[in-house]
Amino acid sequence: MAGPVVGIIANPVSARDIRRVVAHAGSLQVTDRANIVLRILAGLAAAGIKDVVMMPENAGIRTHLGRAMLRAANTGEARFPDLAFLEMKVTGQAGDSALAARMMRNIGVAAIIVLGGDGTHRIVVSECGNVPIAGVSSGTNNAFPETREPTVTGLGVGLAITGAVPASTAFIANKRLEVAINGRCEIALVDVAIVAERFVGSRAIWKAEGFRELFVTFGEPGGIGMSSIVGFLAPVKRASPYGRRVIFDRPETAAFRLMAPIAPGLIEPIGIERVETIDFDQPVALTVNAGSIALDGEREITFSDADAVSVTLRDAAFRTIDVAACMSHAAMKGSFLEPVGKRPAINMSRENFDERQPVSAEQGKAARSLSDHADHPRIRGAAAC
Amino acid sequence: MRTIREFEERLHVDFARGDIPGFVHLYAGEEASAAGIMLHLNDNDRIASTHRGHGHCIAKGVSVKEMMAEIYGKTTGSCRGKGGSMHIADLSKGMMGANGILGAGAPLACGAALAAQKLGHKGVGICFVGDGASNQGMFLESLNLAAVWNLPAIFVVENNGYAESTSVEWAVASDSYVDRATGFGMPGITVDGTDFFAVYEAAGEVIKRAREGGGPSLLECKMVRFHGHFEGDAQTYRAKGELEEIRANNDCIKFFQARIRDAGVISAAEMDNIDREVARLIDEAVAEAKAAALPNQRDLLTDVYVAY
Repeated sequence: MAGPVVGIIANPVSARDIRRVVAHAGSLQVTDRANIVLRILAGLAAAGIKDVVMMPENAGIRTHLGRAMLRAANTGEARFPDLAFLEMKVTGQAGDSALAARMMRNIGVAAIIVLGGDGTHRIVVSECGNVPIAGVSSGTNNAFPETREPTVTGLGVGLAITGAVPASTAFIANKRLEVAINGRCEIALVDVAIVAERFVGSRAIWKAEGFRELFVTFGEPGGIGMSSIVGFLAPVKRASPYGRRVIFDRPETAAFRLMAPIAPGLIEPIGIERVETIDFDQPVALTVNAGSIALDGEREITFSDADAVSVTLRDAAFRTIDVAACMSHAAMKGSFLEPVGKRPAINMSRENFDERQPVSAEQGKAARSLSDHADHPRIRGAAAC
Repeated sequence: MRTIREFEERLHVDFARGDIPGFVHLYAGEEASAAGIMLHLNDNDRIASTHRGHGHCIAKGVSVKEMMAEIYGKTTGSCRGKGGSMHIADLSKGMMGANGILGAGAPLACGAALAAQKLGHKGVGICFVGDGASNQGMFLESLNLAAVWNLPAIFVVENNGYAESTSVEWAVASDSYVDRATGFGMPGITVDGTDFFAVYEAAGEVIKRAREGGGPSLLECKMVRFHGHFEGDAQTYRAKGELEEIRANNDCIKFFQARIRDAGVISAAEMDNIDREVARLIDEAVAEAKAAALPNQRDLLTDVYVAY
């Protein structure tokens, strides 16, 4: 292998849960997932990436990729990096993504591109340590991964890890939430919701009458899912040095009611008792003593008054690649521009390029003060749990 | 779930001993699907089963003793001993029958759903198919029919990973059953079919939607089967140690027991009592089935044709 290797974890079963019935959520076909991977590969190849390693699955993505790449090779259109699959047992469960992330970290991939929703990204982050990730929205609820054409994500990731973009521009440090329950630790990238149901069941949360508490790392008015509640009440940016906690009440007796898009296609009245700011590294105890804990929109843990539960906001817990910033930087530098005629048709000096445009409008400078060193002290990765 | 498991494990033993005429396909390992879905149904709701139908029958309320007698081919059976394992039916319970034809339950469920729609009694029609049978043309035609008529129909794909001996990976072009539902404009969802609570909650939503006029849905339950496709199947298509592994680590009843025990819903002693009661019921069912009479020559032409 020559140069940095990129890992791809494509969840074949994201966007398959009950929210298609209760909330008209979308359903991304397996063949489209394969096409997304092909577009990522094309972007990576154009940015100079030679080798990609991917999580194997048995739900069809690998099969369709194989067919498409064979056809591209037959027609001479092979514009893809070399693609290898991890040697691991496929179970069809969420543990596959966790194992793949761990294996990719161990073999030293330079970045992991994740296809899935908030849940898939959470699982990858729980195991990828210091390896930066880039998300491609293909889940039910996509508050964490930004919506972007996968070709561009491939280009941006390639630019970031080949050094074409400075690390201080390419990488962002992200907050996360940690849930401690009897010594066990789970994480969430966007939100932790405490709900009344005392079973995990079909995992998704959509029954507003059961909402009890919410913790978020960020929540913006344009968001979707539970974090949109905070987005409407007291917005928090991804880079803000704090998070929020919401205490819910029954809509009919609450201090006030809020209409919020808590799932794709589902806008419900939510009873709000109060909103608080939470600070880094301060464990917060729950106000309820039994129910379920939903991590990034999916019930994962049940608890009762016999369990000790707390939620803690952590700073700089994992890295993502700022694809928009990478593309802006590349544009400023003319990375994909090459003069081929006697007289350039445009001003190659780049002096007309408006450098006052923020490289990434949403991201504050404080959150991007990281080097690309994998062992940077501000990056704790999974070790924090 | 325990009744289904005990029923099937007893048949496994009795079939190997040569006590049972005909053929049996066992549902052990898949109980959470039948139980999680059927708990939402009443006698107005009709189901069309597969040739692996014992679990569906029991969960829908068909008499265990009559089922056992039927499988033993006795006149006290639910179809007077003429149907056997693959044609058990009890219309009084809304069980339209196990079915020897792969995928044939789907149009039956559409018919039941159409009847419910016309009669306005809020009933639903549910068909079960395996992952292999879902490739049958009539299954896909039924999805189309249910969608265009907005029928209160639910298509349950019980995906145990093998169409007889052929892995899903080799035999299903679209790779995802949910993708098929999407193609017909109906919601499709996948649940862990070994988790009773996941099936119960998801099934509740799709059934509620159908009752309220929201139309058809597809529910894929990913599961495992503990026996061969049929009794006597050498299962050479399985990986070494696969059966032992799924029995040890992917048993829906063990999952269920652990969950309700940990939640303090039921004690270990109460669970043991349930197990003993079930074992006694199955013992009685087998004894009574063995003691019952076989059909005779005079019965040959009865119950064959139905006059309208």
